[in-house]
Amino acid sequence: MTQQLDLLDIQGNVLRAYGRFRYPAARYVFFNIRDGARGRDFVAALTRRVTTAVQWGEGPDKLPAPEWTLNVAFAYQGLKELDLPRESLIGFSPEFVAGMKDRRDILGDDGPSAPEHWDPIWQRNRETREHDVHVFVSINGLMPLPKDAEPAAIHAAVLEAQVRVEAGYRWLQDQLAACQGGVVQLGGHRGDDGDLLDYQDVKAVLDNGVPTSKEHFGYTDGIGDPVFEGVPYDADRINGRGKQLDNGQWAPLAAGEFLLGHTDEALEYPPAPSPLLLSRNGTYMIYRKLHENVGTFEKYLDEHGERYQGGKELLAAKFVGRWRDNGAPIVKAWDAASKARFDAELAALEKAHDSHGADQLLSNFTYDEDMSGGRCPFSAHIRRINPRASLELTRDEQPPAKVCGGFSVSKGAFDTPGALSNRRRILRRGLPYGEVKDRSRDDGNHGIVIMMLNADINRQFEFVQQQWINYGNDFKAGNDKEILLGNHSQSEHFPSKAVLQVDPNSDEAPYILPRLPRFVETRGGDYFFVPSLTALRMIAAGTVDPT
Amino acid sequence: MSNIAGKAYAMNVITPIRWYTVWLNKVIFWAALKNPSTLKGLITLSLIHYARWVIIGRNQFPHVHPSQPKEDLKYAYMLFFSNFNGSWDQYVDSFTFAIPSGLDMFWKWNIRYPKSVALTPFHKYIRYNQLDTLHYYNAYPLATSNDVKSARIVKAKLLDFDGATRESSDGEFAREYRKLLRDLQHDLGDMYPTPIVSMSAYQVERRQRWHDGQLDGSKH
Ligand code: HEM
Repeated sequence: MTQQLDLLDIQGNVLRAYGRFRYPAARYVFFNIRDGARGRDFVAALTRRVTTAVQWGEGPDKLPAPEWTLNVAFAYQGLKELDLPRESLIGFSPEFVAGMKDRRDILGDDGPSAPEHWDPIWQRNRETREHDVHVFVSINGLMPLPKDAEPAAIHAAVLEAQVRVEAGYRWLQDQLAACQGGVVQLGGHRGDDGDLLDYQDVKAVLDNGVPTSKEHFGYTDGIGDPVFEGVPYDADRINGRGKQLDNGQWAPLAAGEFLLGHTDEALEYPPAPSPLLLSRNGTYMIYRKLHENVGTFEKYLDEHGERYQGGKELLAAKFVGRWRDNGAPIVKAWDAASKARFDAELAALEKAHDSHGADQLLSNFTYDEDMSGGRCPFSAHIRRINPRASLELTRDEQPPAKVCGGFSVSKGAFDTPGALSNRRRILRRGLPYGEVKDRSRDDGNHGIVIMMLNADINRQFEFVQQQWINYGNDFKAGNDKEILLGNHSQSEHFPSKAVLQVDPNSDEAPYILPRLPRFVETRGGDYFFVPSLTALRMIAAGTVDPT
Repeated sequence: MSNIAGKAYAMNVITPIRWYTVWLNKVIFWAALKNPSTLKGLITLSLIHYARWVIIGRNQFPHVHPSQPKEDLKYAYMLFFSNFNGSWDQYVDSFTFAIPSGLDMFWKWNIRYPKSVALTPFHKYIRYNQLDTLHYYNAYPLATSNDVKSARIVKAKLLDFDGATRESSDGEFAREYRKLLRDLQHDLGDMYPTPIVSMSAYQVERRQRWHDGQLDGSKH
């Protein structure tokens, strides 16, 4: 890494997925500004407490990790209410101005994902001024080091993290009270049993009280995340997370893919509002609440797990591209024997406390040896969302019949192997919400709040969502959608399906997943701008001036 | 006007080129055709139905009627004509991400060509020199170029399979059937309407459908 980012100017949630830094619980709170001046005072108060990306730990340039973090972002309407000059406002990207609800047809939020099924706060958003979501605040709680390794002690530490979230929330309420009605908190987040809450709580899924990296379908999550120039705590995580080079090595992505005011992969500055001080070190955030239909998932997996030759767990792994139990990438562990080898290797590294080695085993892979999808299907979650270099592909031909169902790397076709994916990467933040009380039902309160960060919502998040999740042409799959997230057809006559490819040189037939149901449904969200600390101070002081 | 018909987008870009450097471009085209590996990147992108580059000399523009005024052109022109799948952004982006040096080679001698990286000047150059499509007909609006290729393969394979298995035993038939599916495992994608190319194109389409009486009153 050659570049040094200004860690004190960048908000902490941009560079850190807090979950990975011992913050297992969080609360997201949304506000409506009724009075611009009081709104700016509110922003000033929050800014003094905002968690930056500074390095944590002992040492001269480091600070201790805070007991609770605080981060702030704004929707377009919020920036307007805070009286940003029009000349600055018109510099924000059109999709940010329009918002998620307006973009629903691009995102495929139809049927059960349509806005009329969203949580009330998101249904009411962008309908009337009084209900517009203007400000987003997130508070994450730090888990103290448990007294010992017993589940009871760990659980106590998790509870303490939640207490700390509450402490942060009380602090936030004090700042709100000081605004004397100039800022109003927006409620309407669905909780358990249809309760409507004033905030969105999220927390790691617990197993016997101990936090896990699982989501509600049982997959191990939170492994893959892009690594880009200048993030000090990611320096040893480049392989498998940066961009793939011709010589088989990896390099960090350009910072401008994730931060405004820095050069991106096309060697230019991403479009951003002026003045530069307003946009530099800021980024766009996509907040999305996604409900998981656990009952439907279990039923479909059981039904096809019985028919599928490789068995239920391999089938589950085919949906995502990673095994549920330990996150083993299916390209490294594609059958029982290779999975056993992988598990042994991972266990040995964990036993030796080699966390770097274990991380690399899980994250450092390519699809180069699996260009036909016999291991990881083309419609699997992680292959669709981050195809790495696998779109540089060409069809194999075998004499005498010529065509066969195989592909190989089309070596040298593109100037760089990851050409088609390097500019479609997104940072992932967020945690699961709710608990699954009955695995046979869909209607509980359970899902994921996912926050994605990127420099260009349209080029990165919306493109992936539309072209790669809800459509398949780039994967030679016509209109076939990504298995787990696709907005699968509700129609009797035109049901959705997916093809699980096999090794073209085997004697097997591909398995066809028929009548795919919707496993995941949207429950709301919007697009936000995450300013730098400099920009927050300018917004609070009312001194943003592009002249 | 629309540049879009179903899953295809028609792009016409016409860019000036100095008449005395035209031969250089012709040499480049000739070399590219001789050496198919130069087009490997384009073919790998696999979203193009048809693309063509043509040089139109200063005196080669059609003169269809004596009453048509004669133009006095300073430059020759390069016409780039392409029918592709996806949105304008997607196509132009894929080009610049995947084959920037190829693009630079083809357009190098064109006036004011900015190079394909950085992206924004290149976008502006293409947009500025693009002629919008006045009429666009597409016989298979649901088919991408990948779908067309797959359909041809599926048909050929099915006919072969049918011929080859007429006399097969059950076991042979099952094995041949598995092979058929395996050979076609990347050709079985569904064909449904295109994702929305842009919100404005979508709104145009909805307005048209409303005027045609296909949408109820509240939804235009
Ligand atoms: C309920 C919804 C979702 C579930 C259950 C889910 C689950 C998972 C799982 C299990 C993994 C593999 C573990 C890992 O690599 O970290 C993963 C990876 C990933 N997911 Fe999701 N996900 C969901 C929604 C989304 C959405 C909406 C997006 C973005 C549009 C997304 C983007 C990603 C990315 C970028 C990766 C890493 C891929 C890689 O770099 O190899 N996910 N997800």
